[in-house]
Amino acid sequence: MSTSMQAASASSVQSLPAAEEALRLLRGMQLIRSFEEQVRNLSSGGVIPGLVHLCAGQEAVAVGVCSLLRADDMIASNHRGHGHCLAKGADVTRLAAEVLGRRTGYGLGRGGSLHMFDAANGNLGTTGIVGGGIPLAAGAALSAKRRGRGQVAVSFFGDGALNQGLLFEVLNMASIWRLPVLFVCENNGFGEFTAIEDVTAGPDPLARGLTFGIASETVDGMDVLAVRAAAQRALARARERGGPSFLVCNTYRFGGHHVGDKQDYKDDADAKAWRLKDPIERFGGWLQHCGMANASVIAALKTEVDEAVRAAIELAKAAPLPAADDLELHLHA
Amino acid sequence: MPSPRTATYRAAVLEALFGEMQRDESVIVMGEDIGAAGGVFKQTEGLFAQFGAERVIDTPISEAGAFGIAVGAAMTGQRPVFEVMFGDFITLVMDQLVNQAAKISYMSAGQFHVPLVLRTAVGIGGNLGPQHSQSLHAWAVHIPGLKVVMPSTPADAKGLMAAAIRDDGPVIFFEDRMLYNMRDAVPEGDYVVPIGSADIKRTGRDLTMIATGRMAHVALAAAELLAKDDISAEVIDPRSLVPLDLDTLVASVKRTSRAIVADGGYRQYGVTGEIAAIVTEHAFDWLDAPVLRVGAADVPIPFSKSLEPLVLPDARRLAREAAALVRGFR
Amino acid sequence: MPTLDRRTSLSIFQRMLMIRHFEEAVIALYKQGRFASHYHLYIGQEATGSAVLETLSEKDLICTTHRNHGHIIGRGCDPNRAMAEILGRASGFNGGRSGTLHICDHSHGFLSTSAVVGGCAGLATGAGFGLKVRREPHVAVGFFGDGALEEGLVSESFNIAALWKLPVVYVCENNSAGAMGPQQGGYPTAITATDSFVRLPAAYGIHCLKVDGTDIAAVYAAASAAGQRCRGGDGPVFIEAFTTRWPGSSPLWPELATVTDLNDAWDPARISGPHADWSRHHDPVLRVARELVAGGHASRDELMARDNEARMRIAAAANFAIDSPMPAPASVGDHVFA
Repeated sequence: MSTSMQAASASSVQSLPAAEEALRLLRGMQLIRSFEEQVRNLSSGGVIPGLVHLCAGQEAVAVGVCSLLRADDMIASNHRGHGHCLAKGADVTRLAAEVLGRRTGYGLGRGGSLHMFDAANGNLGTTGIVGGGIPLAAGAALSAKRRGRGQVAVSFFGDGALNQGLLFEVLNMASIWRLPVLFVCENNGFGEFTAIEDVTAGPDPLARGLTFGIASETVDGMDVLAVRAAAQRALARARERGGPSFLVCNTYRFGGHHVGDKQDYKDDADAKAWRLKDPIERFGGWLQHCGMANASVIAALKTEVDEAVRAAIELAKAAPLPAADDLELHLHA
Repeated sequence: MPSPRTATYRAAVLEALFGEMQRDESVIVMGEDIGAAGGVFKQTEGLFAQFGAERVIDTPISEAGAFGIAVGAAMTGQRPVFEVMFGDFITLVMDQLVNQAAKISYMSAGQFHVPLVLRTAVGIGGNLGPQHSQSLHAWAVHIPGLKVVMPSTPADAKGLMAAAIRDDGPVIFFEDRMLYNMRDAVPEGDYVVPIGSADIKRTGRDLTMIATGRMAHVALAAAELLAKDDISAEVIDPRSLVPLDLDTLVASVKRTSRAIVADGGYRQYGVTGEIAAIVTEHAFDWLDAPVLRVGAADVPIPFSKSLEPLVLPDARRLAREAAALVRGFR
Repeated sequence: MPTLDRRTSLSIFQRMLMIRHFEEAVIALYKQGRFASHYHLYIGQEATGSAVLETLSEKDLICTTHRNHGHIIGRGCDPNRAMAEILGRASGFNGGRSGTLHICDHSHGFLSTSAVVGGCAGLATGAGFGLKVRREPHVAVGFFGDGALEEGLVSESFNIAALWKLPVVYVCENNSAGAMGPQQGGYPTAITATDSFVRLPAAYGIHCLKVDGTDIAAVYAAASAAGQRCRGGDGPVFIEAFTTRWPGSSPLWPELATVTDLNDAWDPARISGPHADWSRHHDPVLRVARELVAGGHASRDELMARDNEARMRIAAAANFAIDSPMPAPASVGDHVFA
């Protein structure tokens, strides 16, 4: 087992999941991985309209955070959002249908991957506007604060959004108004095709949160337990004292910015090194080491999840496309 | 017989706000200096004292972020009335307005709604210069998913603010700051003007003047001048730009056969173009002349006292154009 | 403790006197009904602007905000044309089109003056970019207030300026000290979670300096160091200069809360009225006058003579403005396009 896993479990000893919960974490990450792999094939095969932005490699962040959320907690996602949606409980068939542009999808097939909302699960939606979801999450936190039921909101965004002025404005307000919101930056090192160092000034992205007195942490985003532990601290902060947190989760996307991206900007050695930190592999290894699962259980889980996703996608593909009559529905409330 | 109760435009909007905030716990007010300070135009005076900091929220000078927060709050149970201090600054909220607020209901297939009101003070006057005098409603009306209202009287302002707050989608409320002190009859208590209903402010036979916001008053003054010249002008205030009460406008034009549209925004590609075109589409066979359009000069609004008054047509100029339209199309 | 030589001190003080009298004249003209509009005065902040401007060369570029009179007059721009602009006359710097809110003088290095809070930061950053691209050994200075830091655009500007090591000096004139906060029911001048404004630029690795904005030696030293750093290619600098808000500055329309009499500098017992404390302890003009005399750089008579001269120069500017013609109606469409 890697040392960082050891470190993670040492630091979060009081909150280590039991076997059932641990398997749920694994399953959650595998679900995202299977979904993304199958969607990639569909996209390469020309079946999906438009572009899709996949998050394979980053599963630990979505799952580590969302596994601790209540059903009535809220999230706002970004363009690389399939993982957030699934981790927050989205129905796989409906999600696939939306990505495929089918009428049974979350948005009647009119939104696609970039505009998927799931109100029943408190998901304020994916968006193609970098940083666009950040204030929405903070607004949801404002609502939550008014209601006083201890709900929190989570904003997921990438390192590209670190340079959006909007982030600053919202961090400031979240701090002044003590909003129960988690700002989770999935730092995968690239804003589209550009490395973070080339566009982000400053000694440490964490400074962006610290400037406003917001509790901020850097987290190993390839370690689901580390993410979970950091999220636990942040959620406690939000629920008990009603203040925001800022997490920078260092992670990596195994794929390109979008399917079809040749990824010429990636360094091969670097990419290989990150592959060795595959969050699913690592966590599987940890589970075996702790005796919570053996290799065949893990393999069976993967097979089962792959099959479930395959079946969901088949169902989605069989659904009708939206019709001309669907064009103007829900334009106004 | 006692004369009807009057109030200023400013006070009428405040009445609506007080009423709605009392009626509905979820209504909150957000903006810069709108809390204890009562607003730069005193347009929120008294709200903070009554409803407190939880419901009357002073934001930093962070329009984009703060409005985005209002959108998120609206998606999750609040009904924010968000103020952008000057209409010129809606440029700063454009992304959250156009790409989020306007589209969320559509994109989510109705799972989420955005029941918010964006109110902003527009209008030329007081020599505030190019960055504090614009009315950019032509941008707002262009975006599917947004409703846009522009009341011209205190009563309409009160009724439309109430309607806007009760609407379950995003409504932009453009108020002309030069009308804040206008005093007129305002119904007491609960008063709602339905969004999408125009108001015939003056009946007439010879032409239809469709005039928005402050221009409605300019049109009424022009109508008086025209009356002395034996021309009977009908003045209609659309009150709502989106949705537009096309039926009322078309019915009038079918009666008078001539129309002139007057609006306070820049003339080029302004709302007058849309209204003129759509009226023409529906009433072409009844028209005796093309529909004329009158708007602000297509220049940044200059500060100087000798130049600022040139930008918007006054009653005399409007009457001249109307008379020419009636007497013989030029 | 930095000190300034006689020549530099007097030069800075001269700028301050001109600004102070200009601003007092502006209020007078407003009260006479000579112009309308919201306007914003630089009284209380003269030391900051003047000392920074003293360090600049002719070729350095400047962006300012709605509170621009101090920078314009302090830079040495023609007070006639500045006053004419405020009165909306054709002879004003902007042909009467901008008024108090957007005064700028291209010949003295001003770019466009934005009254949209935060706008100046973007423009100053762009000016710095231009200087760098053209390899000119000059700097772009962006003056703004503490409120501007709340605009996301300013953060984005900091990021880019730091990344590309642009020669920009951001001067944040924090006049919040002493202002009413939202808790006291007044207009808040800053709603921010940070306990120190410099944290914001520091998050980008920008070199930051904090100074007492009424101490001309300190401001001069900071601005000089900043300029040197920029010209050396080491990237932008952020200077936070603190002043205590002048009591006459309410956000909408200023009131003549204090009237400047240089005799109050060496005889503070003369100062009375509800704002005596501000005049005694926070008025930079009185402070510098006092220091000049105490330091042996000038006599009281010499300073009074300068004061008089400045008053007269400004009075002449006011008359020039009043006598200037309004812009001709036919000119309303000029310069809409290039």
